[in-house]
Amino acid sequence: MPQIIVENITKTYLVDTAPIDAVRSVSMRIEKGDFISIVGHSGSGKTTLLSMIGGITRPSSGKILFEGEDIYELASDRVSEYRCEKIGFMFQFASLLPILTVKENLLLPTVFRPRPAGREAAKAEELLHLVGLTEKINVYPAQLSGGQQRRVAIARAFMNDPALVLADEPTGDLDEETEGDMMRFFKTMNESKGVTFIMVTHNTDLAKQTKQHLRMNQGTLQTV
Amino acid sequence: MAFRNLRRRPLRTGILVAALSLMVAALVFALSFVTRVNSSIKLTSDRLGADLLIVPTGARGGAEDILVENRATSFYMNKSFVDRIKKIEGIDKVSAQTYLVTLTGLCCSVPSSMVVAFNQETDFIVSPWMKDKLGRKLRKGEAIVGSESAFNINLGLVEMEAKLFGSVFSMVGVLDKTGSGLDTAVFISDENIAEIVKNSDADIKPDQISVIFAKLKKDADPYMVMSEIENNIIELDVVMRKDIGKSLITTLGDISKIFYLTMVLSTILSLFLVWAIFTAIANERTREVGIMRALGAKEKHVVTLFLFEVLVLGAIGSIVGIVAGTSLTLIMAQSFSILKNLPVDLTNFTRTVIAFAGLLFGTGICVLGALSPVQRLKKLEPLLVIKQE
Repeated sequence: MPQIIVENITKTYLVDTAPIDAVRSVSMRIEKGDFISIVGHSGSGKTTLLSMIGGITRPSSGKILFEGEDIYELASDRVSEYRCEKIGFMFQFASLLPILTVKENLLLPTVFRPRPAGREAAKAEELLHLVGLTEKINVYPAQLSGGQQRRVAIARAFMNDPALVLADEPTGDLDEETEGDMMRFFKTMNESKGVTFIMVTHNTDLAKQTKQHLRMNQGTLQTV
Repeated sequence: MAFRNLRRRPLRTGILVAALSLMVAALVFALSFVTRVNSSIKLTSDRLGADLLIVPTGARGGAEDILVENRATSFYMNKSFVDRIKKIEGIDKVSAQTYLVTLTGLCCSVPSSMVVAFNQETDFIVSPWMKDKLGRKLRKGEAIVGSESAFNINLGLVEMEAKLFGSVFSMVGVLDKTGSGLDTAVFISDENIAEIVKNSDADIKPDQISVIFAKLKKDADPYMVMSEIENNIIELDVVMRKDIGKSLITTLGDISKIFYLTMVLSTILSLFLVWAIFTAIANERTREVGIMRALGAKEKHVVTLFLFEVLVLGAIGSIVGIVAGTSLTLIMAQSFSILKNLPVDLTNFTRTVIAFAGLLFGTGICVLGALSPVQRLKKLEPLLVIKQE
């Protein structure tokens, strides 16, 4: 059974009382361990699609099944647990909380876990090491560059051992070398731990490194 | 997190804490003031030992000044009224007292205070408090002092001689604390009045008294007896035990109204301020809340975070307010004549209850004011919030 089944989902927003379809009748099946890239113009609906799969915005119609369970049939708290335990988010902007240190930002998703996994602090240090920011563990986000903040956010996405990582332009602020390092890191997590990736990017070179490439165009999904 | 959030904008946090502190301080002061006045009146009434207090017309306030507020004052009527009162239907016992005010240096060797001359044969007001202390009646030329007066005249010890209205009196004891205005008085037998009149310039005649205390028969209706006295003897005013302090309460009524109005206004202001500040806080942090929600925070996590912040603010504001309000009460007790003269001070228990009420009120206002912005925040869809970036 596919890990994720997206069934004919549509997301409609009201803009000045006029309905606009950000995503139109999209269907897809994602197997465990897939690494999918989605490219497309700004406003084509990539982020909205990613957010619906991640349980942070409800589709106007259609279903999303994760391991056979319709996530939007779940109660609000269960959807939060789904986001917390199954999903690792990387947003398209620096998404660290300014009042928390790097380490505390990493530990934040673990605070929301209904059942603590243990070894959280050690895991935070290990992930920071993997993204090359060990020495920044106790500094605040304001003391980091945009690229460093982005790497911390990447590390944070893996704190709860997610089954699915939703990455929205994850390497946007990174220089070429660091971008390559991060992509290698994603591939390692995908291949060694079987983490499924859906990555939105404008970078076609990066998209080519993934197992499956899709394109969003005016709310519809097309195979490249 | 809550503490760090509060430190983000120290000026805004400071303003909110100051507003809450002022509101709680006003509440603590108002509650302390009203409670103290009411307790004093109730205690005086409970311990009076008489059902009716009969005074010359117009001297009703003066009697309350003495009994409730410990204020030295004097007023007189003819002794013959005692016999007329005795004959009224429903009266069981009567006893008269005469009040004299000492003036330091002029007549007396004690600081300005009340001297109460009472009839030992008929008395049921003072005797219960001196029974264990003296074990006998006061003799001519002897005085016994109220528990507070012992300090006032620097006596502290008995067997001291003091000059009162030109006559020398031996202080033979200190009364038990009654909790009423009697605690600051000096008591002598009314046998001494003739000599006081002879030896001093006191504005009193030998056949004058100040007040008649009356005890009613068991089945007597105090209202009937009171109207019977007032209808038949127009020279007298009657105060029922339960009405003692009423004129003080009336006087305080307007003060209390001002207190309550101030309280209501400051509560509305604080509520509005908390709401406005937490609306601003909620607006500033929508993106952060969206990120937390996307990372798996439940609605309850968001509410708990903000609630904790609100409670910390409320608790700090309330504690500062309680300290300020209590200090204000203590300072005012020294300078507010109404408070200075009240016989009853607040017990530690009452102070704790008032402080607790202040804490509850301060934090309650905070929670109430923050409720609507926090409710709005927890219901936000994470994507909409994140996309606002």
